Amino acid sequence: MDFEIPEELKMVQSMVRDFVTDQLKPLERSILGRAADLSDSTMYLPLEKEQELMEMVKGLGLWGTSVPEELGGAGLDTLGNCLVEEELAQTIVPFNFGDVSPLLFDCNEEQKGKYFSAVFNRQRYAYLALMEPEREASEIERMELRAEKKDGHCVLDGKKVSLSRAGEDYFAVVFAVTQPEKGPREGVTCFLVDKGTPGFLVSGGAEKMGWEAQVREPILLVFDQCQVPTGNILGQEGNAFHLGKKWLPMRRLVRGARCVGAAQRMLDEATIQAQSWQSFGQFISGRPSVQAALADIATSIHAARLMVYEAATKADRGDPVRREAAMVKLFATQMIHSVADNAAHIFNAPAYVGGLPMEMFCRNAMAMSATNFALQLQRNIIARDILKGLKI
Amino acid sequence: MPLREQTDVKEIEAILNTILNINSPPVARCRLLSSGFNPGHALNIAEDIGGHKECIACGSCVDACPFLFREPSRREKTEQRTSMALEIIVGADCDQCDACVLACPQVDTTIKNYVVNRRMIEVMSRLEQRMGDEDEPDLDLFVEEAVA
Repeated sequence: MDFEIPEELKMVQSMVRDFVTDQLKPLERSILGRAADLSDSTMYLPLEKEQELMEMVKGLGLWGTSVPEELGGAGLDTLGNCLVEEELAQTIVPFNFGDVSPLLFDCNEEQKGKYFSAVFNRQRYAYLALMEPEREASEIERMELRAEKKDGHCVLDGKKVSLSRAGEDYFAVVFAVTQPEKGPREGVTCFLVDKGTPGFLVSGGAEKMGWEAQVREPILLVFDQCQVPTGNILGQEGNAFHLGKKWLPMRRLVRGARCVGAAQRMLDEATIQAQSWQSFGQFISGRPSVQAALADIATSIHAARLMVYEAATKADRGDPVRREAAMVKLFATQMIHSVADNAAHIFNAPAYVGGLPMEMFCRNAMAMSATNFALQLQRNIIARDILKGLKI
Repeated sequence: MPLREQTDVKEIEAILNTILNINSPPVARCRLLSSGFNPGHALNIAEDIGGHKECIACGSCVDACPFLFREPSRREKTEQRTSMALEIIVGADCDQCDACVLACPQVDTTIKNYVVNRRMIEVMSRLEQRMGDEDEPDLDLFVEEAVA
């Protein structure tokens, strides 16, 4: 059994680590806000700064680490992507190395330039419109937005909610029911709807001002008899939930790596806090309960990291990793919660004092469970394999 | 919390199997087959409720139902947490896993033992079939993509 990371990936890891330390971490204060009341905090970096960072990453040859080489990306394997994501997650600065949703990898030749490349080069923003207002995210099987064919067009009617990043120039990736009788797995089609299409209205998505500047409204997309050309169907008709099939399961591992990275930073911050904060004339790092918390954090990070790396190595070998990915999601989501909890104890509460990176990490840790809800489904996937007689 | 003296399952085996084979949550019928409330667990009240077989609305069966785990929106259809509510909101979609029977504090231990010892092996294989095909698209991956 070889636990060694390949040499070329170690180099990538080291480059990303340096980039995060030298370029991104110094920007944390701009994101969190410099004013006394933090009224100047923001959700994202200024566009010019993002452009500058993008050029630097392109110069390193790392733009599009998760995008296949044939589409112009760096095309790293799953383990490479996990290593990159782990490093990037160690800062609260929202910047990625040209991450594009794998759904857009299925664009045809005509759509590639207009949609995929535009998103890849940060010229346009894709609003992923899957969920619907007044419905839980887990209820996508009961989606109501309909699309009917009329005169060579598809007419979309209904509402969607998107949590994607809002921008000046955008298009929507809309999941709509085309054949209700076939159910969600065969009866849902994905459409690319351009900004300005008649009948397509967008509202929300603005950053809230002042103290809560880091809170962003979801985007509401309204389709009122919106006519979309059939050429704007992404993939094949009725096959929306088969898009990105080759890449989507690996994203679950990469999200696990993100949990590991964020937890690692929390451990680093908590260690500094323990070594610098005194109570009753003694550094708190000398207290057994604080040492125990640090040990628990470090152990759970190590376990999660090994799980992620092992599953990623398996995926790169071409082995099926559905069960391993489910285990990574289940464990990493619970791990980041307990790490945030332990780190907050070491901080002796001020983890939720605004303006500290730690506060943002604790918020993000809670958000992980919003992203990775439905842990029960992962338990089902794991249990299915066990019931089939598999020995773990 | 049933009575200490409980019905011998051999006497009710036929009807119990019929109940467990019906495609609907069996908890209420199993409760009615049980011996009833043990007064030793009652609060100090004037009314004698020993042997009563009503649902105590603890909601354990609703919480234990795996179908409601998969479709939580059904749970929101009513505020009630009784076995009747469970039968109405799950109905014929019941997985027949018998988890509700095992969760109910009013069902006799003898019936629970019978379910675990005689019925569980059948339940396991049926549940495995219901877990779906491995090639089916994992819709949760799309939700993660939209939320992340």
